[in-house]
Amino acid sequence: MVEKSTKVVDEQGLHMRPANNFVSAIVKYKSDITIIHNGNEINGKSIMNIMAACIKCGNEITIRCEGEDEEAMLNEAIALIEGGLE
Amino acid sequence: MNKFKGIGVSAGYAVGTAVVVKEASYDLASATFTTSEEEKASLSRAVEIYTDDTNKLIEKMTKEAGKENADILLGHLVMLSDPFMLQQMQDQIEGGKPAVQAVDSVCQTFYDMFSSVEDEMMKQRASDIQDIRISLIEIISGVESTKIEEVPKGTILIAKDFTPSMTSRINRDNVVGIIAEVGSVTSHSAILARAIDMPAVLSLADATEILKDGDTLGIDGGKGYIYQNPDNDTVSELEKNRQAYLDEKSSLLEFFGKETVTKSGDKRLVYGNIGKPEDVQNVIQNSGEGVGLFRTEFLFMDRPALPSEEEQFEAYSTVAKAMGEKEVIIRTLDIGGDKDVPYLGIPKEDNPFLGFRAIRYCLSNTDLYKTQLRAIIRAANFGNIKIMIPMVTCVDEVEAVKKLISECELELAKEGVPFKENVEVGVMIETPAAVFIADDLAECAAFFSIGTNDLTGYVMAADRGNANVSNLYSVHKPAVLKAIKTTIETARRHGIPVGMCGEAAADRDLIPTLVEWGLDEFSVTPNSILATRKTISECE
Repeated sequence: MVEKSTKVVDEQGLHMRPANNFVSAIVKYKSDITIIHNGNEINGKSIMNIMAACIKCGNEITIRCEGEDEEAMLNEAIALIEGGLE
Repeated sequence: MNKFKGIGVSAGYAVGTAVVVKEASYDLASATFTTSEEEKASLSRAVEIYTDDTNKLIEKMTKEAGKENADILLGHLVMLSDPFMLQQMQDQIEGGKPAVQAVDSVCQTFYDMFSSVEDEMMKQRASDIQDIRISLIEIISGVESTKIEEVPKGTILIAKDFTPSMTSRINRDNVVGIIAEVGSVTSHSAILARAIDMPAVLSLADATEILKDGDTLGIDGGKGYIYQNPDNDTVSELEKNRQAYLDEKSSLLEFFGKETVTKSGDKRLVYGNIGKPEDVQNVIQNSGEGVGLFRTEFLFMDRPALPSEEEQFEAYSTVAKAMGEKEVIIRTLDIGGDKDVPYLGIPKEDNPFLGFRAIRYCLSNTDLYKTQLRAIIRAANFGNIKIMIPMVTCVDEVEAVKKLISECELELAKEGVPFKENVEVGVMIETPAAVFIADDLAECAAFFSIGTNDLTGYVMAADRGNANVSNLYSVHKPAVLKAIKTTIETARRHGIPVGMCGEAAADRDLIPTLVEWGLDEFSVTPNSILATRKTISECE
């Protein structure tokens, strides 16, 4: 299991378009991905759950990956969040 | 004939025949479970049909109402494409639930999650999931609601609420108006109605019961009136208004998206006044060249406690982003006077208009004021924001505000929070005192904006609400005109821009004089932007 914290830079937060772009990019990995926000654990492959978490611009989140390709998945996930998803 | 009033959200007039949209009434509890294979198959069939349907509607909407409105439907498909949501439905089916009940309960879970957060975007998603739920249940159960796309010519549609998939089925050749029991100016259905230029009245309680299929209805979508079985005079009145409205509309259309230029080639600006962040869409839709007055009182009123800095930042930056490079003039809190905010505990005064209000209150409550200033200069990073101080009567007040802004800048810098330095500070000219010291104010203000509503009252010492003296309350009185002229001349002499954000800025009879005196910017209610631009362009 690997994890890392980062900050959301998208103006809209992780809402419709950013959430969709995020999931589309990381769904190719086999590992499980969890986004931790305000103590809640969110399935990082579910657009609905990500949107429902109401993660706003500037919010701190932790991404946790677990599985055979966890390193690569975490790296891409962090790069996506930090690079902006709009 | 009966007359009802709702909220008019899309201007225009129509007379038509009522069709009350019947929602599919399907008793979920009566659904029977076949086998989990069959239930799962009917779920995936429904998803497929829904996706096909929605794709067709997206194509139709893109053509008729623009991409932005079609995007809402695209969002439905994105949401439904979440494999985990479908998985949850399938799991429930495995657990012995019929497909319709599985859809209902999973959608309910997400609906609850979305609607539990006080956030405009989350509320939108809650209504999206509702829309998806209804559509899927209808497809699976085979129970249909009124076929909106097949109503006859001249129909006025009435529903409890119009979901995006309902509005997108509206055939503009046949439907002439819409009425709903819920909704407001910012509802999806209101935005769409305005985009396709269809008269609409929302928030008419019990509309689906009071109004009956086959009724003849008249609708005034601007004022929000509905006439049930109107008499001949009312019908011809509505027809006359409809023609006048359409004529006016087409004559104004040529001013859309144009610069505001007088006959002699002088460039002026027509801005919009707003009271809530979402009103900015009205400014954009009427091709306003900026926001000349963003009243911030709404953030403080009708609530139990002060808004946080974050909440204010969100509101101000939303408007700044929407306007892009165009100017957004934010008026700091103008509380007191007739605007009472119970939790602030401002004591009742004998003379509230001459009392502890606006900048006077804010400078005595610097914690509250600095929270607002911090939110504004932070939001200024996202657009072209300027600050305007209300009720100024002395130069000291302007200096004090500037000092507070410097303090906010230092604090934010220390905290490492991004903000914009040196946001311009302008003065609202709405007291005789400000007119008399305009020369001194112009030295320290980046711009003037004449607030004619209060200025008229203060100059004439007349309350517009008092019938015995309201004849004195007029912007056309020589004393008021002289105050306006002095202000404009002073601003010009000092080389600072001068605008006007009272009702007088949209006064057709006054505009030629204001143009001649050299007023740079006219800030009016969004609905008057095009008419004001037209009047200015007819001036020399």
